[in-house]
Amino acid sequence: MLLAVENVTAGYGAGPNILEGVSIEVEQGKSYCIIGPNGAGKSTLLRTICGLLRPRSGRIIFKGEVLNGLRPDQILRRGICFVPQDRSLFPEMTVRENLLMAGYSLTNKRELEDRIQAVFEVFPALKERRSQPAQTLSGGEQQMLAMARALILKPDLVMLDEPSLGLAPMVAAQVFESIRRLKALGMTVLLVEQNARKGLECADWGYVLDLGRNRFQGPAHMLLRDPQIAELYLGRRMDTRRREQSRSPEQGVEGP
Amino acid sequence: MIQLVQVLLLGLMLGGVYALMASGLTLIFGVMRIVNIAHAAFILFAAYLAFWAFKIYHIDPMVSVLFTMPLMFFLGMGIYKLVFPRIGESRQFTSMTVLLTFSLALIVEGVMGFLYSGIYRSANPPYTTRALLLGPFYLPAAQLYATLLSLILLGVLFLFLRFTRTGRAIRATMQNRTAAQIVGVDVERISTLAFGIGMALAGASGSLVSFLFTFFPAKHWQWIGTLLALIVLGGMGSLSGSVVGAFLLAVVAAYLGHFYGPTWSPITFYLALFLILLIRPQGLFGKKLEA
Repeated sequence: MLLAVENVTAGYGAGPNILEGVSIEVEQGKSYCIIGPNGAGKSTLLRTICGLLRPRSGRIIFKGEVLNGLRPDQILRRGICFVPQDRSLFPEMTVRENLLMAGYSLTNKRELEDRIQAVFEVFPALKERRSQPAQTLSGGEQQMLAMARALILKPDLVMLDEPSLGLAPMVAAQVFESIRRLKALGMTVLLVEQNARKGLECADWGYVLDLGRNRFQGPAHMLLRDPQIAELYLGRRMDTRRREQSRSPEQGVEGP
Repeated sequence: MIQLVQVLLLGLMLGGVYALMASGLTLIFGVMRIVNIAHAAFILFAAYLAFWAFKIYHIDPMVSVLFTMPLMFFLGMGIYKLVFPRIGESRQFTSMTVLLTFSLALIVEGVMGFLYSGIYRSANPPYTTRALLLGPFYLPAAQLYATLLSLILLGVLFLFLRFTRTGRAIRATMQNRTAAQIVGVDVERISTLAFGIGMALAGASGSLVSFLFTFFPAKHWQWIGTLLALIVLGGMGSLSGSVVGAFLLAVVAAYLGHFYGPTWSPITFYLALFLILLIRPQGLFGKKLEA
C-alpha cells in the first residue's frame, strides 16, 4: 500500500467538517479517480493529503509513515506532488523559472537542469515557450506546465485536482492524454475530476464521495457501467438504454 | 528651460531614496500581505542610530548602512517571529496587521521620544553643504550620493530576487503563496527572511534620511503617508511598480514645490493617494487584489 487515508475528518478554519470520515487506499503504479458532486469534499481530501489542511481526526499513512501534522514541504519531500485546481503557477515567472521552482527542494543544480531537459522532452510545446511568462500561456499549456512541474520531482504519487476545468473539450482531451502518459511513465496518479466519465476512463479504480463521505468504490470500468452511479454522478450523458435493463448496482461495486 | 531641467534633476535625486524606502514596505506587503505602518518609524529609528554614530563616533552616515542594515535585519526577524504568528490564522490578517503595526509604530515612536527627546536632528557630514556642477546644473552632493547608494542597493536586491534560489522563492511566495507551499517552499521561513530584508532596507533608508532631512520622533507619520502613496501608485506588492511610483511622485512633488512653494510638495503624495484609490485602485502595475 502506497497511501492509506483512514477515516479522516477535515475542514477550513473554524468551519464545519467538509470531510466526515473518508477512507481511501492507493497502490503503487495504479491510477485512481475520485468523483462526486460539488461540495463532496474531493478537493479538500487532496489538500488534506498534501498538508495544506490538517486532518482533525483519522490518519494519513504514506509508505508506512503517518503524515498527520507535517508541513506541505515536508510531505512533498516524502514523494507526494499536488497539482491544484487553479494550477497554481507563478504567473509572472517564465516557464523555465516555474520549472526551477518546481525543483526547489532539489539542491543539486546539475540534476535539476537534467530533469528540466527531460520534462521538455515529454512536453516539447513547453520547450518552445520556456522564456515566456506563465500567464501568457493558453489554458491547456498552463495545465501542461502544472503537470510538468509535478514531474520534475519524480514523485511517487501525483495528485491532480480537476485538470480539465475550464478547458475546451479538444484541449481537455490533450490533458487526459497527458495523464495517461504519466501513468505510462509508471507514476501513481490520484485524480479528482468534475468530468467524471472522462476521469474514470483514464483510471484503474474509482472512488465516489458525497457530502464528505465514501459512497461507492470499484474498478473504474465497472463504475462507468453502473446505472445507479451513472444516474447520480455521471450527469446527463448517461446511457438510458442500460438504465432500463437493470436498476440495481452491478457486482463489484461496493457500498460505503 | 534650464530651470525645468534643474527641478527634474532634483526630483530624480530624491526619487532614488524614496524608492529605497518604499521597496522594503513593498517587499513586506508582497510576501506576507502585511501593511507595515511602522515602516517609517523603523526608518527613523535607524536614522537616529546613524545620527548618533556620526555625532559620537564620527562615522559617515553613508558608511553607517554597514551596521544599520544588519541590525535592522535581525531586529526585523525577531519582531516578525514575536508578533505575527499570533494572528496568522485570522481571516482579516491584512487589516489586523494595519492595527498591529500601527501600535508598533506608536511603541517605536515612544521609545525614540524617551531615548532621543523631541529635538529636531540632522547629521551634517561635509558633503551636505557641497554641490557638484554639471554644465548649467547644480547637483547637491548629499542627494546625489544618497540616490546613487539607493540605486546600488536596489540593484543588489533585484539581482538577488532574480538569480538566487532563495530570491526566486521570495518572488514565488509573492506571486502565489499556496503554489510556493506546493513546490516545497517553507513559506514561514521565507516570510521571516523577507521581513528581515524589508527592515534592512528600512535601516539603509534611515542612514540616508539622517543627513537628507531634519527629523524628530513623530516625523514618521508624515513619511508613512508618503510611502503608502508611492506603493499604492506603483501597485501594492509590485517592486518595480514602487520604484517607478517613487520617481514619478518625487518629480511631480519637486515641480509643485518649485511652482507653488515648498508647502505644496507634501500635498502631492496625499492627493496622489486619494486620486489613485479613486481612479485606479490597483495602481499602475498592480493586479486587482483578492480578498
